[in-house]
Amino acid sequence: MKKNNIFQQCGFLLIAIAAILMTSCKAEKSFPVKESVKDITGSWQVIRATRNGTDLTGIIDFTKFRVNFKDGAYTIENPLPFLVNADGKFALDDPEYPFKITFTAIGAAAPVSTPFNYPVVNGKRQLSITFSPGCPNNSYVYVLQKVN
Amino acid sequence: MRSYLHIKGKGLWKFCAFITLAIILACCGEIITGVDQPATATVGAVVPITVHISIPTVGDGGPDNLIFGFLVPKGWKAAQNTLITYTSPTLGDGNMTLIPDGTVAKNGGGLTWPAYMKKTFQIGGNLIDDMEWVAYQSDKGFKHGGGNTISGDLHIKIKVGADGNNTLVKLGYVITDSGNGFTSDGNGTYYSSMITPCFEVTGGTGDLIDFCNPQLTTINPPKSLDNDIVTLTFDGTVVNTPLGNATETYLCATAYTSDGKTVSVCEQTDKTKMVQTGPNSKKYQITIWPKSFFNVSGTQTITKMEYFITNKAGTTKVGYGNTLAPFVYTFKCS
Repeated sequence: MKKNNIFQQCGFLLIAIAAILMTSCKAEKSFPVKESVKDITGSWQVIRATRNGTDLTGIIDFTKFRVNFKDGAYTIENPLPFLVNADGKFALDDPEYPFKITFTAIGAAAPVSTPFNYPVVNGKRQLSITFSPGCPNNSYVYVLQKVN
Repeated sequence: MRSYLHIKGKGLWKFCAFITLAIILACCGEIITGVDQPATATVGAVVPITVHISIPTVGDGGPDNLIFGFLVPKGWKAAQNTLITYTSPTLGDGNMTLIPDGTVAKNGGGLTWPAYMKKTFQIGGNLIDDMEWVAYQSDKGFKHGGGNTISGDLHIKIKVGADGNNTLVKLGYVITDSGNGFTSDGNGTYYSSMITPCFEVTGGTGDLIDFCNPQLTTINPPKSLDNDIVTLTFDGTVVNTPLGNATETYLCATAYTSDGKTVSVCEQTDKTKMVQTGPNSKKYQITIWPKSFFNVSGTQTITKMEYFITNKAGTTKVGYGNTLAPFVYTFKCS
């Protein structure tokens, strides 16, 4: 009789544990993480420049050159050879995953586009823009970083 | 006290050395045995060139395609202006076709064939980096093995001087196969290259582009417009010039614009100062954005620049060919 009680008590205990375990787990609902919109608003300066792979950073003064992006428009300060020679409007092909940036200079016959990289380096966003302002065979890469 | 090493059986040593050398030479890998190429041609002429090749084989392998690289000035647009065929008693006759863009070279570390050729053979001793390797492959593969030697000729027909420029250039040739690339192993060396003496193209309307001989001044990129950033180098080691003892050199230049204006910048200031590339190197450089340097308006285009190199006082100047005639640079892309 005593033995039966022990079995009964163990049975209740097992059922109670099973009930606790079953109710303790809950299916987690996963929500897709939305990629942030790439906002390039601000003033950008050249931190590295190459021409056909040759580093130009130390031999041309890029310190005063600025590209300012704001509200779909851009302005250029202290011009240097660039994708465009005048101020105008810009657009990214995708606000979340941009691969291309398009500049439409005021008075230009047509917009110009170029591949666009937007990596984070040492905790800071950089813009890498490739273009040919002169002969098509001469390729320039400017790496820009936001001015503090 | 002198000691003499006496080797018995000297003849045996020589024989062994000869056999070893013969084995190495006759083992494996492609060999360019000669190139028949004219010394001169006129702009726009179709030039026949024959490259004689020999491919001794020992180790079994393949089939691999013959890979051929042709080093030419970029301005010739060789990919569009060249036809290459081959004849071979063992392989038969056929065509060499352009290797499709982006094809990764065997053992090239991820590089395409033209990039692999440039990395391995540079620009063949030419002095202006405006050359390209154009890569071709045979339309048929061949097997290695059996000690057979595949011999044949590559027959090139190239229209030279598509850019209209008179040119002095060292043309280059390289062969290998698609299974080995530019490698060597115990069986031999699987490639062979040959750079020929200066080939001259005359009768053009453009500037003389001399890839062969050191120039007093060079401009990089060699082909550029006024909206490029250009680096001008004065090499005072090419010949003794009146600026031999100058401690500083300056650029004195005149721009010619498309609307018939001229703009001169001939001052001895930081704006025109050339920087010596190394202590006592006697090579001086200045990098400019011509549009800004000459301060031309947005609507003006600089078509040509004439220039001298001067000393700090501006009293001594050096021009083309170490004379008082100016150097001339035409802004153009072809």
